[in-house]
Amino acid sequence: MLKIDKLCKQYNNQPVLNQVSLDMGPKISVIIGLNGSGKSTLLKVVAGIVEPDSGTVYIDRQDITALDPEERKIGYVPQHPALFNHLTALENMRYCLKNGRGSEKILDRYVEMLGLKDILTKKPRTLSGGFKSRVSLVRSLASQPKVMLLDEPLSDIDVAVKEKLLPEFKKVLKDMGIPTLYVTHDPWEASLLGDNFYAMVKGKITEINSADDAFDIIKASYNIKSSVS
Amino acid sequence: MSRNIIAVIFTPLFLLLVIYPLVALLFRLESNGIARTLVDPFFWDSVKNTIVAAAFAAAMGLLLAIGFGYLHLFQKNTFIYKIANLMNDLPIALPHTVAGLALLLAFGRNAFGFVGNTGLAFTIIAVILAMFFVSYPLAARTLASGVEKIEKEVIDVARTLGDTPTKAYLRIALPNLGEALFSGFVLAFSRSLSEFAAVIMFGGNVPGKTQVLASYVFTKVEEGELEMAVTASAFCVVLSLLTVSILGLRRLRYAKN
Repeated sequence: MLKIDKLCKQYNNQPVLNQVSLDMGPKISVIIGLNGSGKSTLLKVVAGIVEPDSGTVYIDRQDITALDPEERKIGYVPQHPALFNHLTALENMRYCLKNGRGSEKILDRYVEMLGLKDILTKKPRTLSGGFKSRVSLVRSLASQPKVMLLDEPLSDIDVAVKEKLLPEFKKVLKDMGIPTLYVTHDPWEASLLGDNFYAMVKGKITEINSADDAFDIIKASYNIKSSVS
Repeated sequence: MSRNIIAVIFTPLFLLLVIYPLVALLFRLESNGIARTLVDPFFWDSVKNTIVAAAFAAAMGLLLAIGFGYLHLFQKNTFIYKIANLMNDLPIALPHTVAGLALLLAFGRNAFGFVGNTGLAFTIIAVILAMFFVSYPLAARTLASGVEKIEKEVIDVARTLGDTPTKAYLRIALPNLGEALFSGFVLAFSRSLSEFAAVIMFGGNVPGKTQVLASYVFTKVEEGELEMAVTASAFCVVLSLLTVSILGLRRLRYAKN
């Protein structure tokens, strides 16, 4: 289980995370927010890539705030697939095994589920955006993380491919059965994927009932008037 | 005309100040000088010393630069990184005679007398150390700019997959730094080939032992053997052009890929 307690982070005296708290079980929680709302920073703090100014992160009741990223057992899929270009798709996905993590069995299962068998020997540069995203996801899942963090992993993908990928991603993440935090600025993407939803505005997080509610909160916070009457 | 004013000013100045001196040198080549230089064993010793010492210096420079690349990636806020980064600019501002003197005092008779009468000074090791001192910053800077081009998220992901910073650097960053490693080595090698002041201060100018091409040319001018100095200089020009051409070709290939 993932628990985030009163996380705060400032850059140049501007609060990016403002007392962010979350308590998550093995569900897909989607955070919806505009660019610069602090959602990517939140994932980086949870992953241990960025240090918070204050607050605590727990996984299974263990305080992991002071741990380095390699000690946290967290899967992180960044905005761009960030594949290791000198390795093949299979070597990318097997990478965690070099560090004694994950299992071949899980890897094979997700390779099968996401239809990656035909591209295993290919280098990332030769793959389409959709396959790069799939490889990036399996690479993290294969390490058997306790928590998954996905930072707009499909932002580079066009809508038609995204429509096909989202159910695949959902199926695989559900199969994994671990707390998953998925960040996006797109309520449509959020509604296709999420079990529960949060809106993030200016570093503050609010739980909402549906992805569509995010719009109202964001608009209210930025005093944006709807042009549609 | 007014639109090309910069090119109009640049071209004659470039031809006069950069190309003309090299052409003037090559036009002074004489068959007699060439023949006498090519049978001079000290010339070939200086060629060998230059290439061997420059290769060792560049290899050492590259190894240390790999270490600097690591600091550049993971430890930018540390005191040692800040000092190392500052020192990368030092050889540009510091007269190389001063660098040679510093090396002489650090590794000469007083501090390293136990290895011989002159310490490390006036040995081929001194030549290598002098070349290394002035060429390492070029390799370090090249590696640092290579590291800058690596997507930060790639390293972040490697860390979440269990890599320590050292493992992430060796397994993920370094394999993607091929171009920077090659350029760093060639630049350090080229800079080492041309070093004179630091080498002569610390390594001396002992024919057959520590004399390099730059000091061979200097000696021949002092002895009034201008034709031989011109021949050795022309050899230096060809060697330098060859080295920078390799770098240029490699960059071209990299850009195409």
